[in-house]
Amino acid sequence: MPRTPYPNQQMHRISYTKLSQRQIADKLGAVAVSGPTSVSPNSDVFAGKSIRIVTDKGPALSYTFGRNNRVSVVENGSGAVDAGCGTLSLNGVVFFSHMIPGTQRGYAVVIDQDTNLATVFELWFSGYQDNREVQREIYYGYVEKAGQQPPATRHVTTNRVEGKGFYWKQDNGTETLEFYPSAAYSHFVELSRLGGELGFCGPSDYIKINDDVFIYTRTECEFSGTFTAYVMDLNRVEQIGMRLGFDASDQLEFYVFRGKGEWLGQIAQFEQFGDENGAPVPAAAAGQTPAKGARRVYRPFLTMPKMSKAEVDATCAKKTAAFAPASGPGAMMGGNRGPSTGWLAGKTLTLRYDNAPAMEYRFDDAETLNWRKEGDNNWTKARYQAWESMPGVILFGHLLEGVPNHDGHSIVADFHQGLVTCFNGYLNTPYFANEAGVKTLFGVIEMEGLIPPKYNRHHFTDEMVGHAVSQNYAPGLTSMHLYSTPHSLSWIIFTDTDAGGLEWSGPAAYVKIRDGLYFLYWLEEACNGTLGTVLVNLHTMRDVGVGYHCGAEGLSMSAVGAHERLAGRFDVLRFYQVKV
Amino acid sequence: MTTDSTSTRRSFLKRGAVLATPLAVGLPAAVMADEGLKARLARLEDEAAIRELQQKWLRRINTGSGDRAASLFARPEVAKFDQTVRGIVPDLSGQPDAIEVAAGGASAVGRFHCAVEIAAAIAQDCTLAQMAHAQGGGFVRRTERRVLRVEYAKTSGGWVIAKVEFA
Repeated sequence: MPRTPYPNQQMHRISYTKLSQRQIADKLGAVAVSGPTSVSPNSDVFAGKSIRIVTDKGPALSYTFGRNNRVSVVENGSGAVDAGCGTLSLNGVVFFSHMIPGTQRGYAVVIDQDTNLATVFELWFSGYQDNREVQREIYYGYVEKAGQQPPATRHVTTNRVEGKGFYWKQDNGTETLEFYPSAAYSHFVELSRLGGELGFCGPSDYIKINDDVFIYTRTECEFSGTFTAYVMDLNRVEQIGMRLGFDASDQLEFYVFRGKGEWLGQIAQFEQFGDENGAPVPAAAAGQTPAKGARRVYRPFLTMPKMSKAEVDATCAKKTAAFAPASGPGAMMGGNRGPSTGWLAGKTLTLRYDNAPAMEYRFDDAETLNWRKEGDNNWTKARYQAWESMPGVILFGHLLEGVPNHDGHSIVADFHQGLVTCFNGYLNTPYFANEAGVKTLFGVIEMEGLIPPKYNRHHFTDEMVGHAVSQNYAPGLTSMHLYSTPHSLSWIIFTDTDAGGLEWSGPAAYVKIRDGLYFLYWLEEACNGTLGTVLVNLHTMRDVGVGYHCGAEGLSMSAVGAHERLAGRFDVLRFYQVKV
Repeated sequence: MTTDSTSTRRSFLKRGAVLATPLAVGLPAAVMADEGLKARLARLEDEAAIRELQQKWLRRINTGSGDRAASLFARPEVAKFDQTVRGIVPDLSGQPDAIEVAAGGASAVGRFHCAVEIAAAIAQDCTLAQMAHAQGGGFVRRTERRVLRVEYAKTSGGWVIAKVEFA
């Protein structure tokens, strides 16, 4: 039977069950006693030994390790509890994890045997409004040694992992691409679980054990809530870690794993030289003490407006605006778009698409056009703006008022080649009516004095895949795109110290217009619903484009423009080739 | 009366006035000198109290707790200061601080040359701006040289700020 690697639904489309505390307790019950599974043999490094871990602002944990993955744990001198425990070691660093039977809590512990320093992750369910989302608190400490003074140092949060990317293959066969373009978030592509179509993001911790070995965590907030933590040796490209959570079928995953990987490259960091601070995004507002486990989490699905078709029709009827004045909504995204062009003013042309009705245009002036679909009698007036990104290549956009799905066209026309590509945005999509969808239209330009090609067309490309490009849209509004897969991209928001902060991602596509000139879109699916389109000019390092958005405030098309910096590239294309 | 916090020029003039007055009113010079010293002491105490009050308020502003400064003000409603101001530090390249205690000692006005850190919030009208705010940012920061004008009032509980504004 033919079989594909793709799931029924990608992660951002799965309606994860709102598990009750009772359901979670029931599912944890037996597993908490038996402990995490492991494909690789558990380490016996602590078998038959007792250790006591002292943490600075957290619990004191006494462990007595038995055989067959059994451990007895005492928290803060309370009664001993027996649990199943998975233990792995990697070049002197030991990682073990267990739950506390009868509770929804557990621990993941990292001990560096060279220094006796320990990092303890306390983990628990039912600590957020979505019970299934694993919460974590991090404690730094050491393993107590009789007759020895406590060590003066501790493991510390760091940005030294920022900019790295790895391919990982766990001992259970799970393959991922994992990118760390932020010091507070990470981006991961599930190659084996989800087929590698899209990348996703989660809040992350980065902790330094030494210059070669680091701890990483990720919580799949807004998705399954699953927690992953591992120790990675950057030189040997090996990892040991654990995964705890409930999958899309609400099955409990609790296992420890060993993995090996490949280095994918390093992209730029933008902090000042000498700044190696980790955790650049404060867990709480200035002057406030963060609650246990607190962290800043971007929750776009939770906060996005979700509208019905009737609501979309009503809001579009109420307010539709294209290229509002510079102080209008979304104006800052166009802060560095550069001067618009009036080259189209007075011209008449037809954009003949291969896979959609031809569009006829009459341009009155630099900001007013008339359009109609070929065969229609009536013209519709629309406001537009245009930019000439490269000589002969003009990007312009306009809304199509009156069409059922409130379409908007973002168009790149190459008048030297006679070619056109249109990202046709539209509403009334299946999940939320205000969430934009997009069709990519390829075609040619027909106008007086221009003979278009018969066969040549713009085409999708993977030339940008793996690249990272930063954008400065306006003072205070700076981000970076990571083109992580041929079908998605991620965006990272910089903090005040220019560290990578919050990060999210969405479906995307890339069209090559010319060498060094790429037209791309991203969809903010399950996240505001915006369609973003930009024409990236690697010669000038400026992008210009249009955003298409529908929300409670109405339908809008607005300019996008940024000064860019090339931030590097990951070597990932080989992971997206068709395998037979 | 204006006192320059870094100069004794006016103190000198006042002393001169004190020395000149006894001859006119015919009181013993020692008595007049004693009253002058008391007045000067009272003024110095007022200035010190005002400076301490000013420092307290600046600490609140500079630690992001300006919204909890109401107790320093005559009326809570005037405690709300420009929310875009994130920090105020002395501008040592500007004029020295000046505190003028009114005759009778019930009110005072201070002028302070300062460097003001301003953080103007970016409108949350796009995803990137919303994310910037979600991580505690989303501001455009700049520093401006300004003159802070502060009016003070003396109450039974001591000096309080009656009004604060940029001149």
